[in-house]
Formats: sequence, C-alpha cells, structure tokens
Amino acid sequence: MGFYLLSYLCILVFFLAAGCHVYRQWTLPMHVRWELYPVQHEVSGKLVHGGSYMEDWNWWEKEQRSSFLNELKYMVPEILFIRGLWKENRKLWWVSFPFHFGLYLMIATFGLLVLHAFSVLPGGAPPAGGALRTLLSGMTVLTGWVGLILGVTGSAGMFFRRLIDPELRDYSSFVDYFNIVFIFLFFLFAFLACLFTDPLLEGAKAYTFGLLTGGDSLNAYAPAQTFLGGGTIVFASLLVAYVPLTHMSHMFMKYFFYHNVKWDDAPNRRGGPVEAAVLKNLALKPTWKAKHVEADGRKSWQEIASSAPKEMK
Amino acid sequence: MKETVKPSDMAKPSECLCHIEPGDLSPLPPPYEDFNEKAIPPLNPEKVKHIETSLDDTVAIGIPKPANREEEEELVRRFLSGLKKLFEKENNWTFLQPLLLSMEHCTKCQTCSDACPVYEMSGKKDIHRPMFRAEVLRRIYNKYLKPGGKITAKLTGDIDLNWTTIARLAELSYRCTLCRRCATVCPIGVDNGLINHEIRKLFSQEMGIAPKEIHEKGTSQQLRVGSSTGMNPLAAKDSVDFIQEEMEEITGWKVDIPWDVEGADILLLHNAGEMLAWPENVGAFAIIFQAAGLSWTLSSETVGYDAVNYGLWYDDVQFSRVAVRHAEIARRLKVKKIVMGECGHAHKALTVIADRLLTGDLNIPRESAMVTLEKIVLGGKLKFDPRRNDFPVTLHDPCNFVRAMGIVEPQRRILRKIAPRFREMTPHGVDNYCCGGGSGFAIMSPYNFEAWRNLVSSRKKFLQILNAFQGEPAEIPKYVCAPCSNCKGAIRDIINFYHAEERSRIYYGGLVELIVNAMADMKKPLIQFGDDPSWKA
Repeated sequence: MGFYLLSYLCILVFFLAAGCHVYRQWTLPMHVRWELYPVQHEVSGKLVHGGSYMEDWNWWEKEQRSSFLNELKYMVPEILFIRGLWKENRKLWWVSFPFHFGLYLMIATFGLLVLHAFSVLPGGAPPAGGALRTLLSGMTVLTGWVGLILGVTGSAGMFFRRLIDPELRDYSSFVDYFNIVFIFLFFLFAFLACLFTDPLLEGAKAYTFGLLTGGDSLNAYAPAQTFLGGGTIVFASLLVAYVPLTHMSHMFMKYFFYHNVKWDDAPNRRGGPVEAAVLKNLALKPTWKAKHVEADGRKSWQEIASSAPKEMK
Repeated sequence: MKETVKPSDMAKPSECLCHIEPGDLSPLPPPYEDFNEKAIPPLNPEKVKHIETSLDDTVAIGIPKPANREEEEELVRRFLSGLKKLFEKENNWTFLQPLLLSMEHCTKCQTCSDACPVYEMSGKKDIHRPMFRAEVLRRIYNKYLKPGGKITAKLTGDIDLNWTTIARLAELSYRCTLCRRCATVCPIGVDNGLINHEIRKLFSQEMGIAPKEIHEKGTSQQLRVGSSTGMNPLAAKDSVDFIQEEMEEITGWKVDIPWDVEGADILLLHNAGEMLAWPENVGAFAIIFQAAGLSWTLSSETVGYDAVNYGLWYDDVQFSRVAVRHAEIARRLKVKKIVMGECGHAHKALTVIADRLLTGDLNIPRESAMVTLEKIVLGGKLKFDPRRNDFPVTLHDPCNFVRAMGIVEPQRRILRKIAPRFREMTPHGVDNYCCGGGSGFAIMSPYNFEAWRNLVSSRKKFLQILNAFQGEPAEIPKYVCAPCSNCKGAIRDIINFYHAEERSRIYYGGLVELIVNAMADMKKPLIQFGDDPSWKA
C-alpha cells in the first residue's frame, strides 16, 4: 500500500503544482504585445512569408482571419518531433528527440494502462480475451518498449552531451545533471524491470488497476515485489511530482509561450476586451524610484504616461 | 585556446572580463581582408578613469564609479529593489508574463547562441551568448530574491552580487541589439532579448542609469524640446522649407509639404533624423503622396514631427509618455490614421507595443508606410519607368518591420515593380540579420563604441551586403535599400568604415528614394552615386 500512497501523493503534487503554474498564468495582467513573426495562426497567404494582417491597407476595417489548421500544422510536428531543434540545433536533436519522444510514449503507455484498467473494472477481475483488451495490451507493449528504449538512449545521450560539450557543460548546474540522471534512472529501472520480470507489462497493468481501485490486485503478480519493479514505481511517481516543480514544466508551459506571447497578435479595438484589460492595467500604481519616473505609489500609469516629468519641463 | 567566461565570473574583479584580440573576429572576404586584423581601438585611460570599464573593450553607458564602499552597497540595494519590481504587476504589467516565462524555462541548450550575429561575429565570445546575461539575472534573482535562494544557488547556479556584477550587467545589456533572432530559434520560446530589455528597464526605471544618447538626449530631449535631434518645432519647419527647395532643385518637381492640416486623412510621422541626415527621404515621401493625391499632413507640435520613441529600448515610462503624445497630437488633428515613415522602431513602438496602452479616442489606427506606399505604387495611378533603377539593389529588412510586425512583402512587391535588378540578402524576411545599429546602437557613439559597432555588431550585415552583390563588377554602383532611419545610419557607418563606396561602389538609401527615382514624369534623377546621376535626364 505504501507504493500506492506514494503514487497518489505524487500525482496530487503534480496537479497542485501544474495547477498553480496555470492559474498564475491565467491571472497575470495582460501584457503589451510582443509577438514574433511568423505567427503560425496567420492565413496561408501571409504565413508563407511570415506576414501579418498589418500588411493590409486599412487593416482595422477588415475582419481578422486566422487559421487553426495552420497552427496545428506547426504545433503537431513541433510537439511530437521537436522540429525547431531539428532545424536549428541538429546535434542536440539526435539525443533530445529520443529523450522527449520516449517520455511522450511513457505518457501514452500510462494512458493505455488506464484505459485497460477501465476495461476490466466492471468485473473487478482479470478476464482474458476481448478484442479491445487485446488491442490495448498490444499497444501498451509496443508504446512501452519503444518508449523505454528511446528514453534510456535519449536520457543517456542528453547526459553525455551535457557533460562533453563545453557549450553546455559551462552553463550546467548540479540540478541540470540531476534532472537528467533522475529521468535516466526511471527509464533504466523500467527498462530492466520489463526486460527481466515483466516483458508484457502485466505488472504495470496490475499496478495501474490498483491505482484506480485503491490497491485491489489485478493478478497475482505485483511489480512492487521486485527490486526493479519497486524502483520503477518510486522513480515514476517522484518524477511525476518533480517535473512541474522545475523548468521541465516547459512540457505544458510551452502553450503559454506560444499562445500568450509569441503568437498573441490580438489588436486592441475600441470597446473590446483588450481595451478593458488595458484600462485595468493603466490604473495600477508603480513605485519605480528613478527621478524621471516620478512614481510615488499614488499616481497611476495613466497619470504618469500623460504627464511630462519635472526635469523635462 | 579560447578563454571561457562563465556567468559567475561577472562578480570577479578584473580589468577586462572579455577582450577581443585582432584576428578573433569573423573574417571578411577580399577586398576587405585588411580589416581582419583590426582590433577595437583602446579606450583613452584619461577619459575613462572615473567610469566603469571592466566588462570588455568598449563602453556604452559610462557609469560613474561609486565613490566608496557605502555607495556601492547602496547601488546594490537599489538594484535588488528594482529587480523585485520587475516581477510585480504594479510596476511591470507591461512585460510580466513574458518575463516570468522566459526566466523560468530556459534549458541552456545554447540553440540561441548560433542565431546571434553579435556572438558569431565577436569570435564567439561567451559574454555575447544571448543566454549569458539572462543567466546572470536569473542566478541573481534565484539567489537573492527567492526564499532559500542562498542555499539552492549551490545547486542551481551560483553568482555573487557586488557592484562589479551590476556595473558589468548594465554595460552588457548594451551589447545586444534586441533583434530577437535568438527568440525565434528557441525550441521552447524563451526570449533572451526580452530579458535583456528588462535588464535595461531595471537600470533606467529604478537606478536612473541609461546611455545619454537614449535618455538625456533621447526621450527627455524629445519630450522637452520636441525631437531627439534637438530640433524645436520652428527648426523642424525651417528644415522642411529647405527640403522643399532642395527637392525642386534636384528633381525639378515642386514639392509642397503640408503642416497641421486638421481633418487630413493621414498624419505622416517621420523620424526627425531624416530631416537632417537624409532630407531627400522626407522630400521623396512628399512627392509620392502629392502625386498620388493623398490628403495628408505633418504636425509641427512638440514631439509631433519626430516619430522616434527610444523608450522602446530601455524604459516603459518614457515609452508610454512619447506614445501618448503622438496619439494626442493625431487626435487633435482629427486625422483618420497615422502613417509611420521609414523608421523601424517607431513602427513597432506606436503600432504594436502602444496598442495595449492607447485607449478610447487615443487609439487611432496606425499603418506602416510600406503598406501605404504599396497601395500607391501598385495602384496604377503613378507611372513608373523601372529602367531608371537599372542597378543592383538589395533590401535590408529592419527587424522591427519583419520579426516584430510581420510586414515583409509590401516593400518587396514595390521593389519587384520598380527595381529590375533587385536581389535578396541571405537570409532575409523574418530570418534577417540586424543592421547592428538596433536598440539605440546606431545613435550611440560614446568613447570607442562606434568602432565596436562597426567591427562587431554590424559585421554580419556587412557580410550579407557583400554576399548579395557577389559577382557584380566592383565599378558598378550598387544600392542597399534600408527603409529605416536607424538601419540606414548603421549601414552608412559600415559603408564608410570599411570604405565600401571606394572599394565596391556600395551606396545606400531608403525605399521612397527608389520609388521617386523610377517615376516616369520625374525630370531628373533623385539618386546619385557619388557625383554620377543614377540615370541620364
């Protein structure tokens, strides 16, 4: 039961930490525009050269069009295959891609395990057969094994790349190495556990079933009974909790980088929601200390922006 | 062997943290090899004995040395107080979200380094890595402002905070042109250019530290006198009178430049530097607008005849003041839209950044001159004879047009129509390289900074220009079209510095000059190559 408690606790930490990150982003004041072209939701005629709606004469008289499909065409290969790194930093891509794709496949594997657990929940027992369960089992083995192989090689590659490349080494801290080693150990334990004790991921299925049922056993085999299986559970659980506490949260925070900054080209139209947010910001009262700012904590941004400071009069 | 400089070295006392030796810089091709052994001329010890110079071979700000230990400690305290404010919404709602994201998610993969022209051209000096200064700020923030930071710093990356660290960081924030090329290549979306911008803001808004050309002679002078050039409204009007006469003499075209026309469709905002350094640009705009029959005006109100807004580079408060003044003037004139002349940073400042500052009737539509000009040139009302521009032309993309605004094609469609020998630089458009004069560098020349700019930050652009004209005979005149005043200034300086006019007959100018030069009913050419007219009347 101790393993389950650890897993529950770590999952809770994940949701709390990730929720805090997301909540903070949602509640931050609207910032000034700082988009960077190409903005991938532009319509194709503009996107091809990185253009914007501001290329049009009297653009404010036209309806702003955007393309979700174009955004997807960019985001899907970027998320799955890390296309940006392939283009800009090929030597790192060779280790970064298997590392990231390995992690994605681990998430996919866990998703499949959860689905499998749901598929056997009604009876509470492990009935054999059933087309869906067979399909899920097959896919779990495939994603699990491919993910583990990619993950082990990718994380080992990332570690050595950081260690031997002076460009990376000179800027790496203890935590940077620790993060990679941590992930590597998870992959290694899981890989060895599968290799020596659980090639069809039956133990993983049993443990996931137990997670959903508060510890009920799916079958006689429990991964925690082995050193490798137990180690895998510990590392996987701690990793889930650890990721959102570090810069590795870029995994999901990348959404805000793109949608709230790089591609945030929403114009301010009179009476619109952007204007309402701007008015709220202009009422804030800064306390910057430089003489020319003339902020005293009582004057608002609007008042300061509308006045010339004394030294300039 | 290359000497490694780490972020923690910023705190360690030394006379010069990063020195560029002759031969370190990226090599130039013939006939410019003689510049490959050139080094940045040494600072005059007498002139710099009272200022901070311990970062590298040059000085951009010239921060006075603190008189004593107490003063140093007070400055460190003020720095930390400013740093804290960068993360408060009351003080930094303008950039809080992008700053937080970029501060917290860098994986130090160094992908940004290879995208940075300053890093590449400097001979890959560590301090010029885009993430270097960001990492310095990150470490200070984590260690000195986060709870338990002094303990976790040993694990996440340590740095000592003293006056040396701060003085160097202030100077280092003026070794990046804010071109944001680094941000386009980051696989996560981290924007080290933005972090650099925020460092500049901290120094200006909390400590009152900024280069004289940008603050005292820049935004302050603009708000006080009317223009960062020092021209008051009367002087601006005199300059324009002179431009009208000159244009008639040069082109045979009678130019009439309207002032303060209430209810005009367009308020045209020029960078006032054009009036003094490139009057033909102001004249060419007038010829085109006049020939197209547009309803337009200039403003003679203080600040209204100078589009620049240097606040964009270093200070949100000064930025806001200038932007609001521009909008107020347009509102008083009751114009339908503001058209931004050939000035990249002014484009971005008033069109994009100020978009979330101006509300109600101050939110007057703003349009790029590239778009207005395209409408005119491709509209068919004016007749052109492209053979008049029968010389090699290449286009420099101002970063603020392309990466910051997505205005890429209008200027190209114009050039394809009026310049038959137009060719692109490599790379171009949103992937362009900065002219090296971005973020204020083009107007900054304290101590030996101009030499640093020409040798380091503008070097990549010079290489690009040479490559664009590769294969053209040296004796053929060539035209670099730079539709931005700051870029034009930087390109003028590299052409002079490398003797490119004498060696390769490379000239430069704006877009409107090329348009006027190709107008079919123009009696005389506007563009001259030295003493030679660009076409025979």
